[in-house]
Amino acid sequence: MSDPQLTNLIKMIDQIIANNLHHGDDDQVTDVAAGHLQKFWARSMKQQVIAYANSEGADLSPLAQKTIAKLQAVS
Amino acid sequence: MLNYYDPGTQSYEAGKSILNPDFDFGTPARVSENLVTVSIDGREIAVPEGTSVLRAAALAGINIPKLCASDNLEPFGSCRLCAVEIEGRRGYPASCTTPVSEGMDVTTQTGKLAKLRRNIMELYISDHPLDCLTCPANGDCELQDVAGAVGLREVRYGFDGKNHLDAEIDDSNPYFSFDPSKCIVCSRCVRACEEVQGTFALTIEGRGFDSIVSASQNEPFMDSECVSCGACVQACPTSTLMEKSVIDAGQPEHSVITTCAYCGVGCSFKAEMKGEEVVRMVPYKGGEANHGHSCVKGRFAFGYATHKDRIKEPMIRESINDPWQVVSWDEALAFSAKKLRGIQTEFGRESIGGITSSRCTNEETYLVQKLVRAAFGNNNTDTCARVCHSPTGYGLKTTLGESAGTQTFDSVMKANAIVVIGANPTDAHPVFGSLMRRRLRQGAKLVVIDPRRIDVLKTPHADEGLHLPLRPGTNVAMVNAMAHVVITEGLEDKEFINSRCDTEAYNAWRTFIAEARNSPEAMEEVTGVPAAKVREAARIYAEAENGAIYYGLGVTEHSQGSTMVMGIANLALATGNIGREGGGVNPLRGQNNVQGSCDMGSFPHELPGYQHVSDPEVRERFKAVWGVEIDHEPGLRIPNMFDAAIAGTFKALYVQGEDIAQSDPNTHHVEAALKALDCLIVQDIFLNETAKFAHVLLPGSTFLEKNGTFTNAERRINRVRKVMEPIAGMEDWEVTMALSNALGYPMNYNHPSEIMDEIALLTPSFTGVNYDKLERLGSIQWPCNDEHPDGTPTMHTLDFPIGKGRFAVTEYLATEERASRRFPLLLTTGRILSQYNVGAQTRRTANSDWHEEDLLELHPSDAELRGVKEGDWLGISSRVGHTVLRAKLSTRMLPGVVFTTFHHPGSGANVITTDNSDWATNCPEYKVTAVQVEKVSQPSDWQRNFVDFDKRQQDFAKPAEEHSSDAHASALK
Repeated sequence: MSDPQLTNLIKMIDQIIANNLHHGDDDQVTDVAAGHLQKFWARSMKQQVIAYANSEGADLSPLAQKTIAKLQAVS
Repeated sequence: MLNYYDPGTQSYEAGKSILNPDFDFGTPARVSENLVTVSIDGREIAVPEGTSVLRAAALAGINIPKLCASDNLEPFGSCRLCAVEIEGRRGYPASCTTPVSEGMDVTTQTGKLAKLRRNIMELYISDHPLDCLTCPANGDCELQDVAGAVGLREVRYGFDGKNHLDAEIDDSNPYFSFDPSKCIVCSRCVRACEEVQGTFALTIEGRGFDSIVSASQNEPFMDSECVSCGACVQACPTSTLMEKSVIDAGQPEHSVITTCAYCGVGCSFKAEMKGEEVVRMVPYKGGEANHGHSCVKGRFAFGYATHKDRIKEPMIRESINDPWQVVSWDEALAFSAKKLRGIQTEFGRESIGGITSSRCTNEETYLVQKLVRAAFGNNNTDTCARVCHSPTGYGLKTTLGESAGTQTFDSVMKANAIVVIGANPTDAHPVFGSLMRRRLRQGAKLVVIDPRRIDVLKTPHADEGLHLPLRPGTNVAMVNAMAHVVITEGLEDKEFINSRCDTEAYNAWRTFIAEARNSPEAMEEVTGVPAAKVREAARIYAEAENGAIYYGLGVTEHSQGSTMVMGIANLALATGNIGREGGGVNPLRGQNNVQGSCDMGSFPHELPGYQHVSDPEVRERFKAVWGVEIDHEPGLRIPNMFDAAIAGTFKALYVQGEDIAQSDPNTHHVEAALKALDCLIVQDIFLNETAKFAHVLLPGSTFLEKNGTFTNAERRINRVRKVMEPIAGMEDWEVTMALSNALGYPMNYNHPSEIMDEIALLTPSFTGVNYDKLERLGSIQWPCNDEHPDGTPTMHTLDFPIGKGRFAVTEYLATEERASRRFPLLLTTGRILSQYNVGAQTRRTANSDWHEEDLLELHPSDAELRGVKEGDWLGISSRVGHTVLRAKLSTRMLPGVVFTTFHHPGSGANVITTDNSDWATNCPEYKVTAVQVEKVSQPSDWQRNFVDFDKRQQDFAKPAEEHSSDAHASALK
């Protein structure tokens, strides 16, 4: 993956998830993370990670994938 | 008639002091519930117990001559001019040192007193130059006034005796001179240095006739410990200590009260003027944030406003490789509007954005975000708080429900334990630093959590302080360890937790924090601080009657900045240190209006008053007033804008009063982003680093040239008043308005007060704010609404905006930025007293005499390992860049930690800082960068390029005939 902007967004999602693991099981953690993205990320950033998850998505951790799926559901 | 005076109640009528702040009442106010009634020259007056006879007389409208007394200093009783007669007492007691007692009968004017006072004055004048007409204090000399008041007509001793008339002038300080021949040794300067400033740089050396005022060990002021706050100059009753600007210009003829535009303390000043020229800035005693004190920046460093480098005309250019073309305002605005609309047509509505300024007024900031949301039609607005206190906004809103500090500055005077985390108040918030030191001298306990040994730990006559020098990047581990001690040692405030905090959140947090892995012993390896010290610190804070936490960017500028802010709030909630004076969570805000810029809706996800853009009810209210739909999705934050610019989707940026090219991390990345823009509009007072990448340059105005308001770190809204006309004809809010009109979104305000009225209409915490009320009250601390019509000095007294306080689980995660074999040292950055942030203002004043260049401070052991000596050139490399600074050996940091400031653009401090950021807000991790340091012999590539680029861009801004040939050549390429 060579798009530095996307790389950065994925790094940010991983960081958000890592800082919210204490919220409980995977479902609860990804709820919080998706809520954070929904509340603080710009439309274009959301679209970019959703598009990536729907196409390749290879660099997304399982939790990141789940977070983005939830984000897509509410967007 | 009996006149009552009680500073606790009656001096505050609707929040405003009824005492005239321009009048010197001789000795400080005393607070007591007991009133004592005395008779002075037949007038009865009741004053609080402990009040001096001198002050009681002044309050009764009776002036007693005085020289050594001043109401910002404790009474001293040395000049004896304020002698009075008291019925039933022998002699002539000094009224300044004599407290009132019930039924006291005082006479201030008798023949004997007149003779006594004349005799004293005669002695003073026998050793004083009689050059009154050519003396710079002429027209503002207390010695002259008192000589007149006592009727001195002759000096029988003559002037041939031993005297001090030939004493040499010390001109070493750039802002004031010291002429000991005019000194009457009243000690006001010495006492101001001790009591007001807390530096203790001055002393009276020698005894009797040989007594002289001396800076440090009789050194020139500039070489002494003096920090040039100017309190001594203000205290001096003669021209001994005198502003050089007054010596040059003479006495001012009018004054205007306004608010300082440097740090977040927001000091009130009297701008003393001669026409449109500022002769001097005198801190205003009626200012609630500073009570008549100031620092070297606010008092003296105002000359940048009239510096030759000011941008005086709008300029445009097609490419950053072209020389600037001077144009009219209309042309510049039409050019900008055409570019912005053209870009939106080609690249979409979201391809442009704006950055509001934390140095501009609330009204100006409000207009820029309104321009972005209403005229640009997106939410791509952000502000420099992104890179400083955005985690404060996130963390405090999550836990306490409001994105602001909880106290007044004065609250520190009731604190019994003061915890300072990642802040350096004596350098970065000096006037508050002085207040804190005053409290420390009164016996409050001090805990400092900081990798560096900061100066507040060296407060003379204060608690020695407990320093926890933690490794950079381990704040959360530290605050968790302290909270662990509070919970496991049973030091929590159970009643507060039960009644004021959300139970479920508390229980979850309690279970987490009590785990052994959060204990000081377990965290010792992470933080590097012995567990016993952490336990002691936690106990000092938790066991104090009032424990207050003050923090700065050493808390927020980390990958876990938001987590740390929540950790601090947890600690305050757990110990019940919220909702009353003396405690609280107190973010020390960096810039003059960073609180205000956040309040005014600068963030891409929040409208003014921290109202989220996704809330349809909120958007509806704004739509009703603004007449346009507001986008329900947040916009881009500054770092996201940079990424999008490099990716080619973000094309234009309007930047008001903010130097992102110098202040934001990873300079290579920032420069690449700025170069990628098709249109960069910079509105600033100077050709700053960002402006060198711009296509439109709109002249900004300084705080002296505009009307408006600033909001300081204690949520205090203060008036900024225009004392001179804007250099290019427009105040900043007028420029934004004109740009909006050029874009076809009409804005029509005649005065900033009308903008404030609109803010009040749309912002729940500002509904009660208006300019009339500000005139009446002097200042207002928000929230100010129906519930709190005069504002809210202390927040959360009864409940929180979110009902109950919410504990947040704060798991410590190590940053990815850690020392390695390749980069074994950790760099942390910060500020210094004499310079301010990017230095654009202070570098254009004599403040640079104290700090000409940024230096790399490193521990002698790290220096020895690398064969580095003081003053050597050092190459500093991180994984993103390389720069060169001179070495300064210092034991303020632990081995392994190095420090620098970022006040000079050519230093390239941010060439080495990385784009790591806070997980919640993207606030950059400035405070932790892994670096290697080695001796070098030449500047870095970036620095050499900087010099060339800077020269070329400076040339481009000169009138055409002055362009150097190489500038033309490169423009032609």
